[in-house]
Amino acid sequence: MTDTKQPDSKQDEAVDPNAPITGMDYFMKLEYHELICPVVREFADALMEKRLIGHKCPKCSLIYSPPRGYCPICTVQTTKADEIEMQTRGIVTNYTVVTPVQYYGQEETEPFAKVSLQLDGGGNLSLQDLPGVPVEQVRSGMRVEIVWAPDGERHVDDVTNRSWGSAEGAIRGWKPTGEPDADPSEYSDKVF
Amino acid sequence: MSSQAAAVIGIGQTKHKKKRDDVSLPGLVREAAQRALDDAELNWTDIDAVVLGKAPDPFEGVMMPELSMADALGANGKPMMRVHTAGSVGGSTALVATHLVQTGVHDRVLTVAYEKQAEGNAQWGLAGGRSGGMGAGGIFAPWMRTYINKSGAPEDIGWKVAVKDRQNACKNPYAHLHLPDISIEKVKESPMLWDPIHFLESCPSSDGAVAMVLTNEAGAKKAPRKPAWVLGTAMRSELGTFPGRDTVRPQAGVECAHMVFDAAGITNPREQIDIAELYVPFSWYEPMWLEGHDIAGPGEGWRMVEDGSTQITGDFPVNPSGGVLSSNPIGASGMLRFAEAALQVRGEAGEHQVADAHVGLAQAYGGAAQYFAMWVVGSSLDAVGARK
Ligand SMILES: [Zn+2]
Repeated sequence: MTDTKQPDSKQDEAVDPNAPITGMDYFMKLEYHELICPVVREFADALMEKRLIGHKCPKCSLIYSPPRGYCPICTVQTTKADEIEMQTRGIVTNYTVVTPVQYYGQEETEPFAKVSLQLDGGGNLSLQDLPGVPVEQVRSGMRVEIVWAPDGERHVDDVTNRSWGSAEGAIRGWKPTGEPDADPSEYSDKVF
Repeated sequence: MSSQAAAVIGIGQTKHKKKRDDVSLPGLVREAAQRALDDAELNWTDIDAVVLGKAPDPFEGVMMPELSMADALGANGKPMMRVHTAGSVGGSTALVATHLVQTGVHDRVLTVAYEKQAEGNAQWGLAGGRSGGMGAGGIFAPWMRTYINKSGAPEDIGWKVAVKDRQNACKNPYAHLHLPDISIEKVKESPMLWDPIHFLESCPSSDGAVAMVLTNEAGAKKAPRKPAWVLGTAMRSELGTFPGRDTVRPQAGVECAHMVFDAAGITNPREQIDIAELYVPFSWYEPMWLEGHDIAGPGEGWRMVEDGSTQITGDFPVNPSGGVLSSNPIGASGMLRFAEAALQVRGEAGEHQVADAHVGLAQAYGGAAQYFAMWVVGSSLDAVGARK
C-alpha cells in the first residue's frame, strides 16, 4: 500500500468507465500583486545583504522575524529602533516530513522535510529547508547553519506579508554543522 | 448579556461519503436541513433566520456559496448569515444560531454546515495553489511529536484512538468510513503520512452536511421530541503563530474549556460529563484535547485512552459517533460534534448511544489550533445539577 489517497468506505462505488460524465476539472487562476508592508520589505532587503533581521518587542522581549511592526501579544508598535540582527546558526526544534499529495500545481514528488529553528542568541524561524539532508536523518536537536543563495542568484520574490520567514529565493536552507546535538532542555519548549 | 434558554429540537445529517455526485451543493445542504425540520416537525416557513457555515471557499472553488444557497435554505425574506472560522466553523456556526435564540432576537433558527470536498481539492486550497503545501497534518505533526515526547505516551496510543473511532463509526450509519476489520496492526502498518501520523490515523475527505433547529424554552416545550438544552457556550481564539506559543496546549483552548464549564456549572468535567464529541482529525488529538481542556491532568490524557475510559463503554466516552477520523466534511465536522452531543443527551443516537447520557460536551477547533468553539448540552436544564 503506497498510495496516499484517503481510505474509502466499502460503500463508495468504483469508477465505471462507461458511466456518463457528471463532472469535470475546471482550473482557476488568480494573479495579483501584493503590496509588501515596509517592515517586511526591510527584512527582504536585509536578506539580499545576507543578513537576518527581526524586531524585539520593547515590552516582552519576544523576537519577531520577519518583523511585523508590532508585538501582537503586547499590542505595541515596534520600529527600526527595535531591530536586531540575528545569528545565522541554530537548533532544529521540530520538523515535519510531508508525503506530498499530487494536487494541481504540486511539484514535489518525494517526501520532504520542513523544520523550525531556534537561533543562537534568540529568535525563531519556521518552514525552513535542510537541502541534501535525507529526511530520515532530520531530527530535533540538530545544530545547523544558514546556506545563502549565491550572489547573482539571490532574490526575495517569494517573500510576502504571510511567508513567515520562508524565503527560498534568498535562503537555500540550512546545513548541519556536525556538532553534537543540543540537549532537549535547550529547545523542547520552543515548538512552532 | 440577558439570556434565555435555548434548545436543539431538530437534528439532520446526510450520509457522509467520499463523493456525493447525486446532489449539488444546495441539494446537499437542503437534504440535511429538511431532515432537521422533519425531526422538529416544522416547515421552512416556521424558521426565522438561517445561519450557515463552511470551511474556506477554495476547498470547492465555489466562491461565496451562501449567495446561491439562500433559496435552497428557504431564506427568502429572512436574515441569513455565514460564519467562517476555518475547521471550527461548524461549532461557531451553531453557537451564533444559539446566541440569536438566547438573546431573544429570533424564536427558531436553522443552522447548517457542509463541505463537498469531492467538488474541489482541499490540499490545493490549503496550499493556496502553490507547490510544497504542508497539509493540515504537516502543521500538526510536530505538535503531536512534542506531546508524545513531553507526556511519555507510548506510540500505540495513536493507533488505539484510530481503531476505537473506526469501531464506533461502524455503529453510525451516517459515518463515511465503515472499516469493520480495522486493527492496531493495520493502523501501524499503513503508510506514514506525516511522522508520527499514519494514513489510518488521519481523517478521510468527505462530502456531507448537518443541520439543527434551535429554539427558546417555549418552542422546546412544544417540540414533538425531547430537546437537548444548551447549558453553556464558549468561543476563543488566539494567534496561529508567535514566539513562545504553547502549540500543544493552546491558551485559547484552555480558556474556552473553562468558560464553557463555568457557564454550565461544571466543576469536575471528568465526573460530570457523560459523553464528549471532540474534534480529532488526527488520532493524537484525543489525548491532547483531554489534557488541553483540563478534562485530564498533564500526562493523564493518554492513560484515559490506554485504560479504555474513552471507549463507548468507558466512563468518559469520546466520539461514539466515530468522530472526524471517520467522517470529515470539513465545514460540517465541527457542527457534527455539536449535533452528535445533542443526539446523545436526547437519547436518540441509535446504535452508538451511550447509556445514561445526560450531559454532553462538544468541541471544534480550527486554523492552526487557534479557534475554539464548545458547548455543553443536557437532557434537562438542571442536568448538571442532577449529577452527583
Ligand atoms: Zn511584546
